[in-house]
Amino acid sequence: DNHIQYERVGADVTMKCGSMDWDAAVTWTANGTDIDESHLNGSYLILKNVDLTHSGQYSCYEGSSWHLKYQTYLGVGTPPKEPVLMCRSNNYPKGFYCSWHLPTPTYIPNFFNISVIHGMREMVCEKDIFPKNRCHIKYLQLFSTVKYKVTLTVTNALGKNSTTLTFDEFAIVKPDPPESVVAKPVPNNPRRLEVSWQNPSSWPDPESFPLKFFLRYRPLILDQWQHVELSDGTSHTITDAYAGKEYIIQVAAKDNDIGTWSDWSVAVHATPWTEEPKHLTTEAQVTETTSASTSSFMPPPTTKICDKGAVVGSGAVAVCWTAGLVLAAYGVLFI
Amino acid sequence: MAAADSPSAALRRRDLCSRGIRLAGKMRSDVVDLLDTYVERQGLDASASVAAVEGVPAAAVERWDEQTGTQRLLENLAAYRAFRVLLSQMLEEHREQLGEADAALGRAMASVLLQVSAFAYHLEELLRLESRGPPSEEGAPPPPAPHLGLFERKLRGLGVLRELAQWAVRSARDLRQLTKPSPGSSSVPSRAESP
Repeated sequence: DNHIQYERVGADVTMKCGSMDWDAAVTWTANGTDIDESHLNGSYLILKNVDLTHSGQYSCYEGSSWHLKYQTYLGVGTPPKEPVLMCRSNNYPKGFYCSWHLPTPTYIPNFFNISVIHGMREMVCEKDIFPKNRCHIKYLQLFSTVKYKVTLTVTNALGKNSTTLTFDEFAIVKPDPPESVVAKPVPNNPRRLEVSWQNPSSWPDPESFPLKFFLRYRPLILDQWQHVELSDGTSHTITDAYAGKEYIIQVAAKDNDIGTWSDWSVAVHATPWTEEPKHLTTEAQVTETTSASTSSFMPPPTTKICDKGAVVGSGAVAVCWTAGLVLAAYGVLFI
Repeated sequence: MAAADSPSAALRRRDLCSRGIRLAGKMRSDVVDLLDTYVERQGLDASASVAAVEGVPAAAVERWDEQTGTQRLLENLAAYRAFRVLLSQMLEEHREQLGEADAALGRAMASVLLQVSAFAYHLEELLRLESRGPPSEEGAPPPPAPHLGLFERKLRGLGVLRELAQWAVRSARDLRQLTKPSPGSSSVPSRAESP
């Protein structure tokens, strides 16, 4: 028979060679390698202060016949620490999911049990096949003031631990980030960028449960973001981009009424339209056109940057600019 | 009264729903602010669990997506009529308890009461558009406020405001459902279908 035993890191382990007497002559192996007799006390194998390297297959053979008398797998590990549990609804109002992990590995198998209580009712959390540490709950009621209580218990051969989360239906609503974010220059408009995106595909009913969006953008050469909050629609035209500068743009989403903002979408890059450089002209053409030389100067607007706190969740469209930078005038020179 | 499915009725319904959604949003925001003030002024723990309070309409609903338009309107109207009574009672108790000592809380409650009344009116108008008409409020007077100790009254008030905040969210969702065209039929039952 093959046995399995789990022991704590630092423990002293004694293995008996099945039904063999203490004074029987035996040979122990670990993962097929003979173990030195210094680790034996009679026919018992003594492992002191075990660590993770002691994990493996241990076998005991009768001295003269080399008959296998006992075999065990030793797993050295630790009891579980308090697990980390998170619950979120990214598909409101269909349901929510909870996922979990251990803050540190135990190195031995763990078993997780989750219970979800809503008022007096115990709800079923359907476990995902992949990833294994996640399960889904369908909402049976909406708009309830009764809190949900989710308890996760993790057990292994060396101990158990648990954690509990209590939350309101609305508090855990957090959509996935917007998808398919696209930013394009606007022809003949050197200060505009057209941004469009789609609702996250996991959000089941954007018509009844509309999302609002938060767009942030900055030129790559600057660290400070500009922010725009949009209460409807899935597109926006940036009208105050620095001409010729490459921008990085991201969008986040939130249910119009409840919950928290999603993570930022994948960043997209775009540069506003710029005029094609004029070709060098012939001398004759220069004579005709000398008097028509022009320079083009586009001073930036001179409004102030908003505080982040004032912008986030303000419910109104707000665009703020720094007054610190002054674009140098540029001229289009030609001979 | 315009027929339920006439273009003018449809426009009026859409207009009432849009305004109702905005009103529900404002109402919710004000109720949440009022909740914070109420908890602080009444010396309550914001995370305190309050058991279901008798007479307070619970916003919680099963199979919400399967409700008809008329069901939504009727349930909303019954709730806001109840909240109108409950908030009036709370305001009266507040005045008896504190007089002018906490005028700000009283004003905030009065403002929410006004919005609740306005929203109830919106719902009555929507029901009139459905040629159904709102149920009458005549008949039995509203139930008197239960005789409770001071602490129980404070907890009851907390329960009322929490449930009202949930209703404000639900109402906005309900009105959005009303503006959605349902496949094969109008989103609100016609005269022939209504009970």
